[in-house]
Amino acid sequence: MVKFLFISTVMLMTSLQASVYKDNCVSCHEELPVSIDKYFYRYLLKYSSEKDVKKAMKTYLENPSEKSSVMGDAFINRFGIKYKTDLTNDELDKALNDYWKTYKVFGKLK
Amino acid sequence: MLALKSSVIDLRQSEKKTLIGFFLLYTALCIVILIFISFVYFKVQKDFMLSQKRITLQNYSNEFIARLKHLHVNFDKYQTYPRDPRFQSAIYDSDKKQIFSTLKSDSINLNSIVYTSKKKIHFIKEPESYYLGSKYVILEIDDDLVWINKTQRDLIIFVTIAFIFLLIVGYFLLKLFLKPMRDAMHLLDRFIKDTTHELNTPISAIVANVEMIDVNGLDEKLARKIRRIDIGAKTVSNIYEDLTYLTLNNKIISQNENINVSELLHQRIEYFQTLASVKKIEFIENIQTDIHMYIDSKKLSKLIDNLISNAIKYNKIEGSIKVELKNGYLCIQDTGKGIKKEQLRLLYDRYSRFDKSVGGFGIGLNIVSMICKEYHLDINISSELNMGTKVIVKW
Repeated sequence: MVKFLFISTVMLMTSLQASVYKDNCVSCHEELPVSIDKYFYRYLLKYSSEKDVKKAMKTYLENPSEKSSVMGDAFINRFGIKYKTDLTNDELDKALNDYWKTYKVFGKLK
Repeated sequence: MLALKSSVIDLRQSEKKTLIGFFLLYTALCIVILIFISFVYFKVQKDFMLSQKRITLQNYSNEFIARLKHLHVNFDKYQTYPRDPRFQSAIYDSDKKQIFSTLKSDSINLNSIVYTSKKKIHFIKEPESYYLGSKYVILEIDDDLVWINKTQRDLIIFVTIAFIFLLIVGYFLLKLFLKPMRDAMHLLDRFIKDTTHELNTPISAIVANVEMIDVNGLDEKLARKIRRIDIGAKTVSNIYEDLTYLTLNNKIISQNENINVSELLHQRIEYFQTLASVKKIEFIENIQTDIHMYIDSKKLSKLIDNLISNAIKYNKIEGSIKVELKNGYLCIQDTGKGIKKEQLRLLYDRYSRFDKSVGGFGIGLNIVSMICKEYHLDINISSELNMGTKVIVKW
């Protein structure tokens, strides 16, 4: 019984965590003509490692600016800069972890 | 003056040691220099090979990065890592974490540009943009080892020739190094030869005339004076004979014959009686009769004379000399000051003198040693300080 409760709690927490990324990131980006993975590969192209990519993304999301954006001028002129995130620090980290896991290159190359 | 020609110079033990030491040091230095040159040459050849391979690898890497870029752009469509039969490759992120690899060698040094490892050549390239997150692109090709075989062959030839050349140079250096020493020894030998030649006639005259004087017919005071002249003449005569032996006798063919050693030993003891009486030294004889030996009589006399002369010279006042002779065995033992253990091994060196308070050139035992060597006699000298010295000759 205790084991069942523990597993259920873990699964519930996991589903709640995943929802931060889906609810707050994917839902908005679905409305844009550029899919969310393109931003990921832009960051990967510039920052390379998981640590650096997440750090750059977090910096931008907390204080979005043209200067810290990885997107080109044409893109920014057309779509502008996103508004500052209202997610908490933990929520932001969880969302970025999910984002990394979804599009990371590690383990996908054949 | 007649200068006797002699090209034979005996180097002393210590001088031989110095020369051997010099030779070993020189050889070691040559080897170190050759190892250093070989190392530098090997390094240069390796760098030259790598610089050639680097051009090829640079071209491969450009092609590979172009394919990596294409994959990055189309990663949502396919994820097949670009492979090439000409080389193996790997990509690492900025945290030096491996993204993907087809390398056969796992020893990667991301801080170098091109290097060899386990018969593989690795080339590290940092693309301008990190396609698929790859900050480091590593290309690997086989090292065909052609360069190393060629370098080894070159080095063997070079080292052999250089070593032989350095040895020849070393030989001439050694000769140069020896020259002042040889000159000094030549000068000394020449001086001795000239001096001995000039001493011959007067010594013979003194010895012959003293022997002709009938001491019994003289008064005691004059007889004592004549005995002193006899001792002095015999001492000079002995030194003369030693020096003559060194300069002449050891170079002439020995006149070997069957010698009665017992008789000769008695004669020589008799000859030295006058000399021994000055220091009141007593001879204790234990001589077996009719002991024979096949030897040159002059050389055997020289051997016995030198041993007895030393036993008198280094003995104390009122000391004794034990002379023992039996078949294949001659022992002369004195009761003198003895010789230090560390000086024993230098005894046979020419001009070695450990007690400067008594006269001599330090050539006596050198002559003894030469005679023993010629007739394969086994000589053993043992000594105890303030107790005496014992010389045993066996044949």
